[in-house]
Amino acid sequence: MAVTYKPVLWNRQKKIYDRLLWLGIFLIITTFSISEVLMYPDITIETVIIRATAFTAIILLHFILMIGPLARLDNRFLPLLYNRRHLGVSMFFIALIHGVFSIVQFHALGDTNPIISVFTSNLHYQEISAFPFQVLGFFALVILFLMAATSHDFWLKNLSPKVWKTLHMLVYVAYGLIIAHVALGTLQYETDLVYWVMLIGGFVTITGLHIASGIKENRRLAAQKNALGEAGYFEVATLSEIEEKRAKTLFINGENIAIYKYDGKISAVNNICRHQMGPIGEGKIIDGCITCPWHGYQYLPENGQSPPPFKEKLETYQVKVVGKHIWVNPSPFAEGTFVEAAEF
Amino acid sequence: MEQTISVFLLIVAIYLALGVLFAIAFLRKGITKVDEGAAGTSWIFKLLIFPGTVALWIFLLPKWLKA
Repeated sequence: MAVTYKPVLWNRQKKIYDRLLWLGIFLIITTFSISEVLMYPDITIETVIIRATAFTAIILLHFILMIGPLARLDNRFLPLLYNRRHLGVSMFFIALIHGVFSIVQFHALGDTNPIISVFTSNLHYQEISAFPFQVLGFFALVILFLMAATSHDFWLKNLSPKVWKTLHMLVYVAYGLIIAHVALGTLQYETDLVYWVMLIGGFVTITGLHIASGIKENRRLAAQKNALGEAGYFEVATLSEIEEKRAKTLFINGENIAIYKYDGKISAVNNICRHQMGPIGEGKIIDGCITCPWHGYQYLPENGQSPPPFKEKLETYQVKVVGKHIWVNPSPFAEGTFVEAAEF
Repeated sequence: MEQTISVFLLIVAIYLALGVLFAIAFLRKGITKVDEGAAGTSWIFKLLIFPGTVALWIFLLPKWLKA
């Protein structure tokens, strides 16, 4: 029986996180708006809203993109990662306000449908200097919408983790579009160097943090691989090599091993069926059980035992997943021994 | 180019209109067949899921047909 979904799984930490987030958003918008009014006394309220929401959304997006690598570099940043989805949804709504006000301000007063106008009011698509930068912002907003709309756990389950993750990695495409949107658009009309400094500074910071965390992660994986090698493990496959609910079979140190991939997990059992010595690694997982292709004898992947009332048992092996690589220790456990599956 | 853009946006609009129709039916009947965790959920949950369902109905339709 699955757990019934809640709209939001609130707890004390999330409430504190959100209050701090909204306070930060309020402070950024207020400070920016006041400074705009002081610098440009004739500015309209619509323009203040457009600029303040753009500035706030960009600051939040930079913050969001920095949290992941920061948390990998230093555990003390992990609390920021905890409720990042609320941060992302808040950022989308602020970007949406920017988009709606911009479309109303610049595209709603003519005869053309405002959305069509975004794409057709400026047709200089071949010119960098006059490029219709609003189109880039529009597509970035579409990506941010898809991410915000699928932030609930319902989507993680029903789109599948792979599709969901791919969709949410589009944040980097959105970031690129936004950088181009700002660089080709607003900055064409701004003479103040501070905006360029902020934009390039933000890009360099985000890129630098990702490179630094990538180097650290590679070092960690290398150390982990060394440790596994010393502990008697062998690197045997990559995750993508094995089809879902299927196995890769191999001989190591005289052991005939079938390594199964299923439901985000990897398990290894002896490759010889106890019924008539069938190659069970050529079978697949059916109803949660490894199923021998010869006569359909079944075994649970984590303990190699046939489900009751059957008594057949296979040897099991310890497996590890490091990055995208699967490692197996060919020293067998006794038949039917439970070995926790390696998750990926 | 204007005509191409208009046709493209028309296709998107038709896709989203179909998405609205799908979402109404899916959130009334299909969602509990696809995911038992959605049984007995509040209207606020369904409201949260609605925009994504409109946009990504093409992914949910095969699941509903198979369920």
